[in-house]
Amino acid sequence: MVSMTTGNNESLAKSTIDRRSFLRGAAVLGAVVTIPGLMTACAPPTTSGGTGTKLLKVGWKSDLDTFNPFTTVTTEAIEILSLMYDNLMHYGVDLKPEPGLAAETKAEGNTITYTLREGVTWHDGSAFTADDVVFTFDLISKNELGINAQYLTDMTGVTSPDPKTVVVEFSRPQAFDPGLVIPIVPKSIWSVMSADEISKFANDAPVGTGPFKFGSWNKGQNATIDRNDSWWGTKPDAAGVSWTLYTNDDLQAQALKSGEIDIIPQVPPTVFTGLEGADGIKTVNLDSFSFHHIGINVSADPNSKGNPLLLDKSIRQALSCALDRNQIVQIAYAGLAKPGSSLLPPSFGDFHYEPAAGDVLDNNPDKANKLLDDAGYSTKNSDGIRQSSDGKLLQFRLIAISTTTVDVRTAQLFAESASKVGIKLEVATLDSDTLGSTVYNTDGPDWDIFVWGWDSGVNDPNYLLGVPLSSQIGGNNDVFYADPDYDAMYEKQAGELDKAARVETVIAMQKKFYEDCAYIIPVYLDKLQAYREASWTGFQETPGGIIFNFTRDNFLNAKAGS
Amino acid sequence: MGYLPRKSLQVLGSIFAVTTFNFFLFHIIPGDPLRLIARTQKLDAEQVAALRIEYGLDGSLFSQYLTYIGNLLHGDLGYSFALHEQVSTALMRALGHTALLLATSTVIVVLFGIFLGVFAGSRQGSKADSRTIIGALVFWSMPTFWVGMLLVFTFGVWWGVLPISGITTPNAVYETYFSYLMDIARHLVLPTLTLALVDIAFFVLITRTSLVEVMSEDFMLTARGKGLPRRTLVWRHGVRNALLPVMTASALYISGLVGGAIQVEVVYSWPGMGLLMYNSVLARDYAVLEAAFLVSSVVVILANFATDVLYRRLDPRVVVAQ
Repeated sequence: MVSMTTGNNESLAKSTIDRRSFLRGAAVLGAVVTIPGLMTACAPPTTSGGTGTKLLKVGWKSDLDTFNPFTTVTTEAIEILSLMYDNLMHYGVDLKPEPGLAAETKAEGNTITYTLREGVTWHDGSAFTADDVVFTFDLISKNELGINAQYLTDMTGVTSPDPKTVVVEFSRPQAFDPGLVIPIVPKSIWSVMSADEISKFANDAPVGTGPFKFGSWNKGQNATIDRNDSWWGTKPDAAGVSWTLYTNDDLQAQALKSGEIDIIPQVPPTVFTGLEGADGIKTVNLDSFSFHHIGINVSADPNSKGNPLLLDKSIRQALSCALDRNQIVQIAYAGLAKPGSSLLPPSFGDFHYEPAAGDVLDNNPDKANKLLDDAGYSTKNSDGIRQSSDGKLLQFRLIAISTTTVDVRTAQLFAESASKVGIKLEVATLDSDTLGSTVYNTDGPDWDIFVWGWDSGVNDPNYLLGVPLSSQIGGNNDVFYADPDYDAMYEKQAGELDKAARVETVIAMQKKFYEDCAYIIPVYLDKLQAYREASWTGFQETPGGIIFNFTRDNFLNAKAGS
Repeated sequence: MGYLPRKSLQVLGSIFAVTTFNFFLFHIIPGDPLRLIARTQKLDAEQVAALRIEYGLDGSLFSQYLTYIGNLLHGDLGYSFALHEQVSTALMRALGHTALLLATSTVIVVLFGIFLGVFAGSRQGSKADSRTIIGALVFWSMPTFWVGMLLVFTFGVWWGVLPISGITTPNAVYETYFSYLMDIARHLVLPTLTLALVDIAFFVLITRTSLVEVMSEDFMLTARGKGLPRRTLVWRHGVRNALLPVMTASALYISGLVGGAIQVEVVYSWPGMGLLMYNSVLARDYAVLEAAFLVSSVVVILANFATDVLYRRLDPRVVVAQ
């Protein structure tokens, strides 16, 4: 008994001290942590300026994935890489090709010859040579590395007959010059790795020949690059460029107003109207290289579980006629988009197709009704839904991504319009991953109609025109469209070096695709951007955007304001 | 068996149960994780099969589970397709950022919460009491992101005195290590203030209720009868006894925050656990989500364990009762 009491007393005494020291410790810790928080008045840190000029600060919506040019898929990374690595050719602000590492380019028959610029050095000081170009092309082509491999599928060889010349041989003429998109990497760094090692390489400190050098990357926060003062071209005014990640669109808009950033490359429509007319802010509304589309399952595969009625072109054309594209623009997009027609938005210039007055399949319920009546779907059930001669209802499933509000609104408006011509569309929403795996289920696509979108990764018709190729079933082809004539025309235009002749074929393809109605394209998106006028001048408004576009020149031409 | 070994075994059991549940939760979700890779690059059946083996997605669910547990014991949480890095790397970075925010805000919330709670509780029924409670409850009932946006607008845009996103200024050049710390401190102010304003009511109310209860106990009457000064009475005899529930609340609060103060992190683009999980949900990055859930659960279990142990130190009555 006695010893137990003693024990208790001891532990009581001990714990009293512990409690007191606990509280005292907590108070000290609190003061230590609180004080810096209270000292908010101190000046913000200066940012690096080099020769007394400014940092161009960009706002980002999502982070870049990797600095490895052979594995990246994000536009964020591709843009920042385009400022650190030079290509052989680049797009100017007018989106026309201009010289890069190649001072001259000559395309003749199956061959493209690049005459290289002299006196170019890598960021690490070593000399740039023709070997680097040969190595880069070879690496991509042999290992089918990354998103640029698709432009070298026809490549048969690359050589360097003399130190300032590179000759690339293809199996057929190339309408699209791959030199415009392939970043040239230094052989000395990349040749020591196997293809497998390259595909896992983080490239955390990129070494290129470009106008900017790598600065820093705080994953999930920001990335910066610094001006390369020994670059071969006219040196940019910006001492560097920074990208800051904002996870909230409203906050990003506030950061633009407060001057924390200078430009927002992707402004959502709801925020855009709020920024219009704001003090010192310039908003721009440009054509884009993107569209949203209504895709119809036209798979001829016997395993397809899509409604077979949709294989009838007259029903698809009637659906296109039922849709009011202008209504979609006004209601679903608040007017910040343009009515669509076929695969290439107006930003592609001459390649864009507008249907002639008699060919238009838009907002014409009378035509829709006539098409359906003529095709034998004139009887209706008690709910007013049309039926085929063997009693099958014109009733289809329509899916859209639940978080993409514009698509959901489009689906709803489309269903309303279709019901007016006797076609029932049952709208359901899914998350993007489920929609993707449903649509791309090559074993047996079990869906009828969806709403989704495409964005051209390149300033050339090939990418978007290539989507509905029969060879892309299992790849990009989301509607399982397969048409030998379309495929043949694609091959023809891809090897056509004469622009006028190519335009003719490209227009014919789009006309055919428009009439086949495997895609109904309600809108071409607008590219909405905003920047601080007082901070930077010299931005040229280019289709596709001032920045976040195929041209990097607006970064190079930007002049710091007062 | 002694208290600590027994309790530790319970903790290990809980962690094992949570791990198992977590694994099966993520593996019964419909959809194929390989879709995430296949979506960005064209893969043939052979490559898909090879990837399945590489990511341990071949074989039965049970064999996948064994592989998972085996990897976990080696500290291997898998590879994130979306982030292009090891999950453990991404998780450690996010945990570090969250810990910074959490440490600051917890200390402020708890200390000011206790202080205000004592202020109100020791003046029970007075105008000061009801004003404190109403004030705390007003902020408590505001949506966190809305308070965040208000502060952004006031301090970031209107007055323009504080940064509104991230942890550090991009491309900043720091003269000294101290200026680097100050930059972080400046970025910490608004997220911390947001958390403090909204969450302080939690501690004000718990402290106040607990103190009011203690104040009505007999020993307090005795103490008052002895003629102790009011300050000694409240702080030494009242508050000390009233703090035990606050301890429990703090542990719950901290373990809750490790999962990320999601709303605050999203508003201020603070790259912590909350933001990581938010982005992982959007990207369907199961590997990261699975690991983040696991870490949050383990932290809750460990925090509760720590509270239990600490409780025994602080309140000997617990030991006696056992």
